[in-house]
Amino acid sequence: MTRSISVAYAVARKDLTSEWRTRELVPALGQFVVLALVIANFGFQIDSRNATVIAPGVLWLALVFAGLVAFGRAFAAEREQASLEAMLLTPAPPAAIFAGKAIAAALLLIVCEMVLLPAMTLFFGTPLNPALIVAVLLATVGMAAVGCLFAAIVARVRSREVLLPLLTLPLWIPFIVAGGQAVQVAMGASGNYNQAVALLIDFDILFLVLTSLAARFVLDD
Amino acid sequence: MTRYTRLAGLAVLLMLAAGALIFFYAPEDYLQKEPQRIFYLHVSAAIAAFACFAVVLGGSAVYLRTESARADRLARAAALVGVVLTTVTLVMGMLYAKPIWGTFWTWDARLTSTLVLWIIYAGYLLLRRLAEPGQQTARFAAVVGIFGFVDVPIVYFSVTWWRGHHPGPVIVSNALPPEMLFTFMVTMACTLFLAAVMVAIRYRIETLMDEAPSPASAHLVGAAAREPEPAR
Repeated sequence: MTRSISVAYAVARKDLTSEWRTRELVPALGQFVVLALVIANFGFQIDSRNATVIAPGVLWLALVFAGLVAFGRAFAAEREQASLEAMLLTPAPPAAIFAGKAIAAALLLIVCEMVLLPAMTLFFGTPLNPALIVAVLLATVGMAAVGCLFAAIVARVRSREVLLPLLTLPLWIPFIVAGGQAVQVAMGASGNYNQAVALLIDFDILFLVLTSLAARFVLDD
Repeated sequence: MTRYTRLAGLAVLLMLAAGALIFFYAPEDYLQKEPQRIFYLHVSAAIAAFACFAVVLGGSAVYLRTESARADRLARAAALVGVVLTTVTLVMGMLYAKPIWGTFWTWDARLTSTLVLWIIYAGYLLLRRLAEPGQQTARFAAVVGIFGFVDVPIVYFSVTWWRGHHPGPVIVSNALPPEMLFTFMVTMACTLFLAAVMVAIRYRIETLMDEAPSPASAHLVGAAAREPEPAR
């Protein structure tokens, strides 16, 4: 168990170090989410009256597509260097390697959220409060687990760019249903915030358990 | 006439008999009139689709455990039939929704989750089509098949968890008059039989396709046999 944790930590640190040295993904993702806000502005004619109604939808759209890019990259780099096979040759448990990669990808997405949420407050004047941050972070946990699992699957399949969103998005919908409701309430709509967050935690637990059971079969060869 | 043709013929006859019950035996609904008759096939198709996806779940789990090619084939066959039945459910539901609710589609929890179910398993079929056939793809598809099943209980309980337009469970709550219940039970049994026959036929097709050399590799083998590699 402690070995699994140290393997996961080492893999996550490796991914984050490599991202820190190349700075290849995070700046692009940051720009991407800001661009998404610009497009939303023109698509919706956002002003101070309708901002809190439209902003939750814009937030999830930007986040979901940024997440697809982040999780897709997590395994794309390994594939290009054929380094995943090398990692799997070591006696480290595959589930721990997978956990490390998922944690690193989730942290990159969180960095991207640290750009997105303040940018929304700045441009649309929507509130930025702990309730909003908690909901987004809880959704990120489950989305990272599912997203990385499917990224690992499609990394070895033809037409992966097409398949990743197709397989991942339907399974992210539970998080968007619950997270969407929580974010709407956090931005001032009426509704039950606690129920939505409880549902988010349920989905997180369910998908973390399923992913940890399935990771072995996805990475094994 | 093979076993499969006979079974398929029987399934068609049974479905026609169920249709006769639906249109001539079951009483007309007092409030909803004729469109209510859609209910019998709509719910039966949904239950048969759930059953197919349960078979996908079972086949996928067995495959991950034993790498049995049969379990994988069964999962493939059931996924295809399940997607077809989910399509039937969605289309019948839309035909019912138009006269009753005044619109083909509304973002009710059950409608949305059923649409998501369709997308998940259509993605499963697409993965099977796009990925190179082999053990790895079978393993990946099994993982997708198992994850996809998470949506089935969500669809089932969606009417109780989120109150929307879609009617609640009328069968388990015993809200049907006996003639309607009988018609529904017969239709459901016939639909389940039809689904089983379709899965069996599809399973046979998958077996034949697994055994036949793939067209791509047959071409390569043929080409290599005909023209020897040029000397370098």
